[in-house]
Amino acid sequence: MKPYKILIIEDDPVIQNELRILLSGNGYDAVLVKDFSAVIEVVKEECPHLILLDIKLPQENGFSLCSKIRTFSNVPIIFVTSCDTDMDELNSIMLGGDAFITKPYNTAILLAKIAFLLKRVYSVEQSETLSWQGVILHLESSMIEYKNQQAELTKNEVKILYYLFKHAGKICSRNDIVDFLWDNQLYVDDNALSVNINRIRDKLSSIGLNDFIRTKHRQGYTL
Amino acid sequence: MSRKQYVKNLLPTFLVNFIGMLALALFLIASGNSIDTIILILVVWSVILLIYISVSCTLRKRYVERLLSMAEQLEERYLIPELMKEPERADDRVFYQILKMAEKAMLEKINTIQRERKEYREYIEQWVHEVKTPITAMKLLCENNHSDFTRELLVELEKTNRFTEQALYYARSEYTEKDYSIREVPLADVIHEAIADNKYLLRQNHITIDIAGVGDSVYTDEKWVRFILNQLIGNAVKYRTEQPLLCFRSEKQDDQVHLFVEDNGIGISESDLPRIFEKGFTGQNGRMIQSSTGIGLYLCKRLCDKLGIGLEAHSDGSGTSIVLSFHVNHFIVQVQG
Repeated sequence: MKPYKILIIEDDPVIQNELRILLSGNGYDAVLVKDFSAVIEVVKEECPHLILLDIKLPQENGFSLCSKIRTFSNVPIIFVTSCDTDMDELNSIMLGGDAFITKPYNTAILLAKIAFLLKRVYSVEQSETLSWQGVILHLESSMIEYKNQQAELTKNEVKILYYLFKHAGKICSRNDIVDFLWDNQLYVDDNALSVNINRIRDKLSSIGLNDFIRTKHRQGYTL
Repeated sequence: MSRKQYVKNLLPTFLVNFIGMLALALFLIASGNSIDTIILILVVWSVILLIYISVSCTLRKRYVERLLSMAEQLEERYLIPELMKEPERADDRVFYQILKMAEKAMLEKINTIQRERKEYREYIEQWVHEVKTPITAMKLLCENNHSDFTRELLVELEKTNRFTEQALYYARSEYTEKDYSIREVPLADVIHEAIADNKYLLRQNHITIDIAGVGDSVYTDEKWVRFILNQLIGNAVKYRTEQPLLCFRSEKQDDQVHLFVEDNGIGISESDLPRIFEKGFTGQNGRMIQSSTGIGLYLCKRLCDKLGIGLEAHSDGSGTSIVLSFHVNHFIVQVQG
């Protein structure tokens, strides 16, 4: 499947570049606007699936760009700006913006908004299961399955496994796993992570899986 | 107006009348009038003089007292020349003119100061918006290059952001009427957002978060409550003890929803407790910890007052409990069904 194309309309070169890295790292095709006198032409040419739009821009502000884009396209637009008054927010919604995020934003929240909008507009079929080496993780029913044997998981355990499955084959540091859990509103500390991992291991061995999660000394865990 | 002072001011009049009486008496004696006649004339003269003085004193007193009470009732007293009639007496007119001049000068000065204040406030707001761009850039740089070093930088960035927000809300707290929108806000959402804003700070200090049953929604401005919670979280981290704990829970009581933000930090001493919302007050804790400014809680209180949220602090020596009390608006609830 072709990755979704996201157009970044933002004038700060560092933010431009870092957003591009962040988005491409998360499986999107990020495109930048370089010439701010021809933003509309770029939008028409690139036909992005989603637009990240700043309000304060050199040639024309984000509000007027938004209303111009709306004359020919219904592409979802997320306003990403440091203007945070209610007037700005109201304006952005009135002119057809789909979401409003203020700087400095939490990248997890930004990515979640993007994923949510893409799912709503293009009705992406998100796979409800993940698998790795014959082990299947059922996200909907919070189950883990191996050779027709199943074990039930708690919310924390599902999220931890989800992260490990998504990064299967790579080493996931404890810090990154805890970060991911916090981004998902599960405020787990280091000790609780160890407890959770041990519990997952117990459950895995109960369905005949030993050493599925390996500990890399001083580095983290890996599948 | 004091009558005594009024009569004292009339001393020259008395003196002139007295000299007049003396001259008349001498003239009447020289023209061979009897003492009785002279006394009669002088008595009549004196009576007329006294009546004139007392009547004019009463009238004058009434006039100035009316002016005085008018000025006292006026909220902006320097506007009194706009209310009073132009006086009849020549010397009063001069004073009236002087008052008018003073008023004009005052209004001009107020105008200038107001304009300057507004410009300054706009500059502060603009500055905060400008500085948010590099903060965002730094944050993205750190998040794209995760390491122990960038984690520490992210903590400092969160602090920087909290301080800039403080400046922004301080500037805004003067004219908040223009900048809030009341919406239904699920308390859990705004708590999660505030925690996300301080994620790295909380993690660095190994704060255990406990969110227990905050299923209630309130009608308020989300941005402001988030700011208030950010300040409270900052305080909880600043005044933490061993094995720090931060607990959020809500309770519905009659027509109010209480949100409790509790920590197990060093607490607030009983003598300091009544003053913690005062501007610049840092108390005992402030003397122990360098970075107390006495601004955070003051701003929280100010914003809460404007939004109609109750703000209270309790402390029993170990740990602090801050209670935010939101009113449940029956009207909105009914309209929304």
